[in-house]
Amino acid sequence: GRRARHMPAICRGLAQLRAPSPLEQSPGRSARSSRPWAAAERSPPCASPSRAQTLQSLAAPRGRPGLRRPRQPKQEAEEAGCGPAAAATSKRLDSCCRGSHAPPSVMSAEQEKDPIALKRSRGGDSGLDGLGGPGVQLGSPDKKKRKSNTQVNVPPFLFEAILYAPIDDISSTAKIRNETIFFTLYKKEVGMWESLIMENGDKEKMQRIRENAVIKAQEKADEEEKSKAVTKREHKKYALEATMKLEETERKRIENLKEEERKKVTEELEIWKEKQRNEEKQRRIQKEEKIHRERKLIEEKKKQEINKTKTLNAGTSKTRSIPTRAGSSGNIFSEKLKEESFPAPRSTSTIKISFTSRVFPTALRESRVAEEEEWLHKQAEARRAMNANFSELKDLNDEEKNPDWLKDKGNKMFATGNYLAAVNAYNLAILLNNKIPVLYLNRAACHLKLRNLHKTIEDSSKALELLIPPVPDNADARVKAYVRRGTAFCQLELYAEGLQDYEAALKIDPTNKTLEQDAEKIQHIINGTAQDS
Amino acid sequence: MSGAGLEKPQLITHVQQSLSYTVFDCKWVPCSARLLCLGSVPRGTGIIQLYELQSGRLSLLREIEKAKPIKCGTFGATSLQQRYLATGDFGGNLNIWNLDAPEIPVYSVKGHKEIINSIDGVGGLGIGEGAPEIVTGSRDGTVKVWDPRQKDTPVANMEPVQGESKRDCWTVAFGNAYNQEERVVCAGYDNGDVKLFDLKNMSLRWETNIKNGVCSVEFDRKDINMNKLVATSLEGKFHVFDMRTQHPTKGFASISEKAHKSTMWQVRHLPQNRDIFMTSGGAGSLHLWKYEYPAQRSKKDSEGVEMGVAGSVSLLQNVTLSTQPISSLDWSPDKRGLCVCSAFDQTVRVLIVTKLSKI
Repeated sequence: GRRARHMPAICRGLAQLRAPSPLEQSPGRSARSSRPWAAAERSPPCASPSRAQTLQSLAAPRGRPGLRRPRQPKQEAEEAGCGPAAAATSKRLDSCCRGSHAPPSVMSAEQEKDPIALKRSRGGDSGLDGLGGPGVQLGSPDKKKRKSNTQVNVPPFLFEAILYAPIDDISSTAKIRNETIFFTLYKKEVGMWESLIMENGDKEKMQRIRENAVIKAQEKADEEEKSKAVTKREHKKYALEATMKLEETERKRIENLKEEERKKVTEELEIWKEKQRNEEKQRRIQKEEKIHRERKLIEEKKKQEINKTKTLNAGTSKTRSIPTRAGSSGNIFSEKLKEESFPAPRSTSTIKISFTSRVFPTALRESRVAEEEEWLHKQAEARRAMNANFSELKDLNDEEKNPDWLKDKGNKMFATGNYLAAVNAYNLAILLNNKIPVLYLNRAACHLKLRNLHKTIEDSSKALELLIPPVPDNADARVKAYVRRGTAFCQLELYAEGLQDYEAALKIDPTNKTLEQDAEKIQHIINGTAQDS
Repeated sequence: MSGAGLEKPQLITHVQQSLSYTVFDCKWVPCSARLLCLGSVPRGTGIIQLYELQSGRLSLLREIEKAKPIKCGTFGATSLQQRYLATGDFGGNLNIWNLDAPEIPVYSVKGHKEIINSIDGVGGLGIGEGAPEIVTGSRDGTVKVWDPRQKDTPVANMEPVQGESKRDCWTVAFGNAYNQEERVVCAGYDNGDVKLFDLKNMSLRWETNIKNGVCSVEFDRKDINMNKLVATSLEGKFHVFDMRTQHPTKGFASISEKAHKSTMWQVRHLPQNRDIFMTSGGAGSLHLWKYEYPAQRSKKDSEGVEMGVAGSVSLLQNVTLSTQPISSLDWSPDKRGLCVCSAFDQTVRVLIVTKLSKI
């Protein structure tokens, strides 16, 4: 019977122009083989046991968007052409074609529509008119042949047929040309097929077959991808290794060159050291020889002397005075001579030096240039600022409009004890230019004397605000400000704040004894009150 | 590296020795393949180690421990036979040691109140004329010149005026010792001052300020009429002064160059070629430089007074050996291209510089 146990082959979508297998072609097919593009001359499968079959199907159903070659009139012609001869074929093809006009929908649903579609398609419409829904695309050949039965409306599927028996889907191909699709299918097992397409079995079976086919197709695709990825990776690895090898050889070459140099130098060093050693030896030998000779000379002299003394009967022999040190009896060591010819040590004297005086007292590495610049800049700005309210000051003469002059006036009055007048002077000065910190500082002093303690604190704080950035230049001013504010706090009995300010002052000027003593006093008072309460 | 690239001098590490203490200075022992390492052991004492270069390794010959860590040393003021080492230590003491009998120093004086940062010697080793003298520069701001024949007092003392705030002296160098009378001392300070003292006239001959603290000064030769002076400083700059022509107001002509991107710790001229010098940097790198003289070394300025013309400096090669500063460098006077350097990563390296004869 039927080879129902085999998964029937299905061909999808695309035809090919490939000539059918050279094997076992019926003589009647020769025409076909030579003109594989001819329309509709393919005899039905039952006619021959040929291994190869070329099925045609129309490439593009009428009017479908997205298809590459929607050509209506040709289609008609083809249909007509294939009508009589391939009626049987198309019938069979149609038997499982989903000719539904509906958009791609659920497969099972389409199965339902099968008879209707068939009818429709048989009804003059292109047998494959219903191929695909709108937007069907041509899938790529060779990938869509799966052994199952599915619908064709779902893109990218174009055509579907459950074949009678399994085919070898690797070597089978489908080609599209001129709105025809040529399938070249190779049977897995030689033999006659009763029919091209499997007869309609039960729906579930068809469904299963279809699904299996899809899964198989997926798996195949995945496998192919994987193997592609693997080969790609291997290629990359190979390339990488090749480059690494190249670099390695280069590096080795350089290392070898360096090694050679090192070896050369080491050898040279050893040779040189040998030479040195030999020279040392020579020198020592020479020294010894000379010493020996000297001694001999001395001994001879001694003998002579002894003879002399013997004859002269002298007590002490001069021999004792003759030193045996080799150095003095002749100039063996020319270096020794040289030493003795050195000039006497210099007469001691001192050169006084001074170091480069800098605009800023610190060297670059300790420099607080930025801050000092800022301070200078601020001062310059302050000088220039004239927030004069001229209407009010029309009655002042020029002198009185000068903040410096006013400041001096204020200072003088402070010195004489006229604190209120001093405050007035400073007030005016500040009115003219409120950016000069020393004005606030002095006014604070006045207020302190007048026991306007809150005003003192205000003014000292203002002065401190204007005295940032803290640089050595304005250290004195800052100390004064802190001290005045501290005093004011203490007189207000806010001893903690007062102590804080005194400590700040001490930090700037740690050597000031009075500050220290005052700070201690405050500390005692705080401790005292703490004890009391 | 192509074949053409190998025409440049290469700096090859010949031997590397790891030490167990902080090494501040390394010096070749003249006329030998031995070198000295001076430093400070973790327990706070000083150490002198004597190594010999034997067949590609450094073998320790002797180790001498002293009371105070040793900062610097020189062989400059001894004869070739005696080869006494003069050292300056952290306590301000100047000592001269006979390495064969190192228990008692040959000469000892507490020269300074604070650490002796730098020491130099002249008149010994057959180099230079005149009496052998040692100069020391210290953190107390003074530079003192000593004669080993005179005990306890220096023969020359360069100190700040009373009441002047003192600046650390970081480096000293002798120069211009071409006859028995002439001698010059150059000192570099931490505020960028470079001062040149004339010992014959006992006066300050020239001073300038290079803005950044001066780490190292060296004349290209001690024993000739002063020719060139290189001063290296913080922030990777060095200046080369042409010392042949002194202008009354403008002083000496100079060029400056930036390299290393960090403090330049040392400069050392090649004993065999005075136009080649090596600088060591705070990033563990060494740069080899060549100075080229200008077409005319002096010209007349607008008033007709002679003034010097500085030449140009080109970098021959550089190499990075370590991640820590290379604090000390010394060329071997006996073998061209052999040098030793020590770094704060507690290693001492012997390097070979190739192709120097072809420059």
